[in-house]
Amino acid sequence: MSTRWGTRLVLAAALALVAGEVGAQMAELRVVRVREKGPFRDPAAAFWKDAPATPVALLPQAMTLPNNLKPAVQSLQAKAVHDGKWLALLLEWPDATRSDRIVVDQFGDQVAIEFPAEFKKDALPSPMMGNPGGRVEIWQWRAAFQQDLERGRPQVTNDLYPNAHADVYPDELLRAIDARPYMGAVGVDNLITHADKSPVLEQLAEGWGSLTIQPDDQRADGKGVWADGTWRVVVTHPLAGGEGHVGFAPGGESAVAFAVWDGGSREVGPRKAWSTWAALKLAE
Amino acid sequence: MPKVYNWQIGREMDYPYEGARPKKQFAMLFDTNKCIACQTCTVACKTTWTPGRGQEYMFWNNVETKPYGYYPLGWDVKILEQHGVQDVGGPVYKGKTLFESAPSGERILGYLPEDLDYAHPNVGEDDSFGDMQQGELLQIPHMQWMYYLPRICNHCTYPACLASCPRMSIYKREEDGIVLLDQTRCRGYRECVKGCPYKKTFFNPITRVSEKCIGCYPAVEGGRQTQCTITCIGKIRLQGFIGKPDEIREDNPIDYIVRVAKIACPLYPQFGLEPNTYYIPPVHVPPRYLVQMFGAGVERAIAGYRKAADDEKLLGALLLFGATPMIIHHYKVEAGVSIGFDEKGGELVRVPLREAIHVRAAFDEQHQAYRTNIT
Ligand code: SF4
Ligand code: SF4
Repeated sequence: MSTRWGTRLVLAAALALVAGEVGAQMAELRVVRVREKGPFRDPAAAFWKDAPATPVALLPQAMTLPNNLKPAVQSLQAKAVHDGKWLALLLEWPDATRSDRIVVDQFGDQVAIEFPAEFKKDALPSPMMGNPGGRVEIWQWRAAFQQDLERGRPQVTNDLYPNAHADVYPDELLRAIDARPYMGAVGVDNLITHADKSPVLEQLAEGWGSLTIQPDDQRADGKGVWADGTWRVVVTHPLAGGEGHVGFAPGGESAVAFAVWDGGSREVGPRKAWSTWAALKLAE
Repeated sequence: MPKVYNWQIGREMDYPYEGARPKKQFAMLFDTNKCIACQTCTVACKTTWTPGRGQEYMFWNNVETKPYGYYPLGWDVKILEQHGVQDVGGPVYKGKTLFESAPSGERILGYLPEDLDYAHPNVGEDDSFGDMQQGELLQIPHMQWMYYLPRICNHCTYPACLASCPRMSIYKREEDGIVLLDQTRCRGYRECVKGCPYKKTFFNPITRVSEKCIGCYPAVEGGRQTQCTITCIGKIRLQGFIGKPDEIREDNPIDYIVRVAKIACPLYPQFGLEPNTYYIPPVHVPPRYLVQMFGAGVERAIAGYRKAADDEKLLGALLLFGATPMIIHHYKVEAGVSIGFDEKGGELVRVPLREAIHVRAAFDEQHQAYRTNIT
């Protein structure tokens, strides 16, 4: 087992080096300018027809444990637009099952978009969630969050287990502040638990296991629609970055990478399909 | 991968992190011979820690009937079957641990239970093993058997939950060895639920992250034993701290019972986690069954338990079960009394080794009435 971990680490380092520069062989995602005004949340908006589609190859995450060497999704298609103020990406990938019910043996569909927190053309962070000192920003859309927003947060006695009965919960008896200790991660405001406003989480990472939600910088929004075995997900964000956060300018460039999880195949965390960096070029 | 020493299996083994034993190690002792499956412990734990949304079928403490009871369904037989037959015979375990059996792409051999596996916490309750054949008469001891197995998180020395988490959301406290799952860090990957062979991490579908037994750490920090221990009707539990394998303290009741008298055994030591709950095995159950569950020392443990009355120190330690809500760090037996002390040496409790027997006359002269034996 030790050799297996060792080999993977060496491989990861090598790949990170290869990916550390914007090379000629990189795929390119052109961000076209549209007349419509953001934020853009509609995957079916007409202007998407004018944006060129970039196919993105996805590879199994095989560098760290645990992993799944046969992830369900092998590629996605990306489009991008901006209006001078807002950036939006439209991602499409095949998924036979819509997975948004989360119980112990059911996982949700997800997609993530990654950028270098600070774009330096010849010193990109590792596309695999960054590296110490090479920070990346990750916007992650979750099917379960989409459900939270469209149908309300699921409850045990209706959505999750329609025939269940429960007599009384602490939050029905106690003041809100006193009920918090009985609410686990919800009581400590872990933002992974549910979505109130946006189905997209804005996060930073500097390597595996370091992904951290930025509670004060949750500006990404979006919407995912599943139809005919395809997810079409829009993620949108202001072009301007805050202090220490990723920002874009018309005519500018950056790098972008992606990851997809198929909940129906129990893909979660490091069990995912991911891409290397593609060049991101914004129109004037 | 680092090598760590696991004293329960008598050898070194692979573990993803360096071995560093905590300053003190939370430990729990159960005398299975005394448990009556009243579930008072289960309810005490539930009302204290898991009455919230998404925790309806979550039991950090549960008591199941062996061999047919399981919570979640089939938890031990499922992982044992995946692991395959291992040689559990000698003092040095010759089989593989679950870390050593990790399939490609995994940190440990494990499985994720199905949602419905949690739906019947009392499945198999009171079902006994063995058929009554035609013409057989009931004998004492009974030919059929079952027993009750109380279970909490083992606050393992080498936790599989901790090792499985790619985010390092689970940590083992240096001060008391309690294993905690950080509710602000967890992202609900369920690797710990898959990895823990005892299935003592749980997924909460309302918070969408995992939760586990916290060893009643607020109580333990204040010198008190856990809720499940102090509420136990059968006085079958003792919670305290176990010393390091090479620092055995005879005046610690847990060290005396586990390491000196050796009458209590860990649950499935062959998994390789060095769990810190110890069971005094049920004396009436066939050793063949018990060995695969409690390891090679189980027959010696039963023999020692049967002779406990001959060893005053052992008897004294056993009588401290359920005697005080406070954690007993030291004890001594003096003039027929077992005395328990707290960490600073303050006296907590005195228990006589033998209760005096009072024989009362059948006729009460004072009240001019016959006494009736109500038992
Ligand atoms: S309270 Fe004690 S006797 Fe009752 S089930 Fe729990 S461990 Fe057994
Ligand atoms: S019993 Fe399971 S949950 Fe508890 S410390 Fe051990 S591996 Fe972790």
